[in-house]
Amino acid sequence: MSEVILKNIKKVYPFSGGSGNKGLFGKVKKDTGGHRTGHLQMTDEGVVAVQEFNIDIKDKEFIVLVGPSGCGKSTTLRMIAGLEDITSGELYIDGKLCNDVDPKGRDIAMVFQSYALYPHLSVYDNIAFPLKISKVPKEEIDKKVREAAEILDITQYLDRKPKNLSGGQRQRVAIGRAIVRNPKVLLMDEPLSNLDAKLRNQMRSEIIKLRHRIDTTFIYVTHDQVEAMTLGDRIVVMKDGFVQQIGTPQEVFEHPRNLFVSGFIGTPTMNYFDARLEKREGKYHVITNGLDVVLSDDKQERLNANNVEDQDVILGVRPDHLQLCDNGIKAKVDVSELMGTSSHLHMTIDNKDVIVIVPTEGNAINYHGKQIQLTFSGAVANVFSKETEKNLEY
Amino acid sequence: MKNDAKREKTIAWIITIILTATSLAWVLPIVIVLINSFKDKGSIALETFKLPNADTFVGFLNYTNGVNMGNYSFWTCVYYSIVITVLSVGLILVCTSMSAWYISRVNSRFAKIVYALCTFSMIVPFQMVQFTLSSTASMLHLNTPYTIPVVYLGFGAGMAIFMFTGFVKQIPLEIEEAAVMDGCSPVQTFFKVVLPMLSPSLISVGILEAMWVWNDYLLPYLVLDITKYRTIPIHIQYLRGSYGQVDMGASMALIILALLPVVLVYIFCQKYIIKGVAAGAVKG
Repeated sequence: MSEVILKNIKKVYPFSGGSGNKGLFGKVKKDTGGHRTGHLQMTDEGVVAVQEFNIDIKDKEFIVLVGPSGCGKSTTLRMIAGLEDITSGELYIDGKLCNDVDPKGRDIAMVFQSYALYPHLSVYDNIAFPLKISKVPKEEIDKKVREAAEILDITQYLDRKPKNLSGGQRQRVAIGRAIVRNPKVLLMDEPLSNLDAKLRNQMRSEIIKLRHRIDTTFIYVTHDQVEAMTLGDRIVVMKDGFVQQIGTPQEVFEHPRNLFVSGFIGTPTMNYFDARLEKREGKYHVITNGLDVVLSDDKQERLNANNVEDQDVILGVRPDHLQLCDNGIKAKVDVSELMGTSSHLHMTIDNKDVIVIVPTEGNAINYHGKQIQLTFSGAVANVFSKETEKNLEY
Repeated sequence: MKNDAKREKTIAWIITIILTATSLAWVLPIVIVLINSFKDKGSIALETFKLPNADTFVGFLNYTNGVNMGNYSFWTCVYYSIVITVLSVGLILVCTSMSAWYISRVNSRFAKIVYALCTFSMIVPFQMVQFTLSSTASMLHLNTPYTIPVVYLGFGAGMAIFMFTGFVKQIPLEIEEAAVMDGCSPVQTFFKVVLPMLSPSLISVGILEAMWVWNDYLLPYLVLDITKYRTIPIHIQYLRGSYGQVDMGASMALIILALLPVVLVYIFCQKYIIKGVAAGAVKG
């Protein structure tokens, strides 16, 4: 069992320059000022990097923390790792309060963004390093290193130094070093962000395979929502130090809690329209640009439960949920991009950019300059409050 | 195009000539000492800059004379010079690399003050502190070859910490954090990760400090009990003939002998100075 529980975790970087970064000596220099403070909350104590972070991570669960730069996701990961002090709140690993336990005592491993391999050691010694430190017998070290190398397909590179490896191979070595001692929790801090697009896709699928081979709890940080969607059992979307939503990729994609989550998750980004939400004959309708759509039953249920009143709203519909029709929202296509299996149509409606994904189905049409009409189903419409930007379903 | 290439070639030639002349000017004193070490005593004073001829060439006579001359054994001096150099350089490297690591990584007022003091110590001339130092050293029994390295640590620390701090800052913090995650204590992180990565800088700082300690005359002269302990530079100063006359030939020969280890070490270690050990550690 290796559950990780974070209860009301908060991280404040004091103004005085001391970062509270634990590292080796208690206070290690780390660039935490300047750009980080962009939209973060400032208090008398300092800059609040993370606050009100609550999550129960189950044994063997794959959790992905996702958000834009400076949202506090890496800070949270480093607090779990023990590389960063926790200002307040409680961190439990395997039921044990770990706030003041040093990284060594937490039995967790971490894969860093920049690989962080030991340049003076061979691949073999890099992977064996944590076992040597733990004084594991030589024969066992050899067995475990070779096992890990086999899983990651780097057996032929065991004698090489890191400088003689490609980016992808280095990342595998870093993962090997992390998995070789069967940690309770495996932390990964943007492990694929230094790889090129093709290699990133390949490594992503290898991480999925790895996850099935080694039974452990994964906590993965990324700013790439595709990685988040494909890897995570649950994803945690963060912004400005606050958790915006925790849920399965499908939940977060289909029912974003607020405008930020709806825009951050999904490529191309969600389309927004000025709309009016009205309740007529017991049914919620959303009306935009002359189109009147009745929301689906589950949305009706949620809106009813929240007793939502008639109001002006922001309507969000994903590009692949908009459909061409004969009687809907009128628009003129500015740009038509043929993507192979689909075309991306760009247009402007109410001074807002709108993208529609139309499947080509073997018959690619150039929509450039054409007048089209759009509609959507009531099941895919998300209605956000204009004031709070929250999804009215929640 | 053609003119440009010609001009570049001319500039390259001029630069080569200037640099060759500078190098020769630098090497010339050592060459003169080397040449004179093979000449007889009389011709050294009269024909200092001339090459030895059949009359003045004495072979290795000056060397054997120098080694056997005086009432103090040359080999004892060599022993003490080696002891002092090895102990001092070792002490300086271990202590200052650790301090530099602490200074580079720890964000505290104390670390800043230590760094400022070390940098400041580089600009204090030795002559300013020589007498207080020699009396303090004898009071603390630092006047033996086995304890004088502590004094050298004090004087060598400034430059070494200054250099190491720059090197340590180039090591990505993530590598040290990876070591922490792998279960290293701070001491293990230093000796198993940081120190091996510092090896090129250890060699460069080591060579600089070794040359200084090996060739140093004034500090051991003031601090050591010269009746008991002499280093090679002190021994050379004390080389006198039977009537108190300085034997220039023997002095020259011993200077060359004293230079030899430093030159050899430098030539041998040159490749380690250039080698960048951090290659491949992080992205890029």
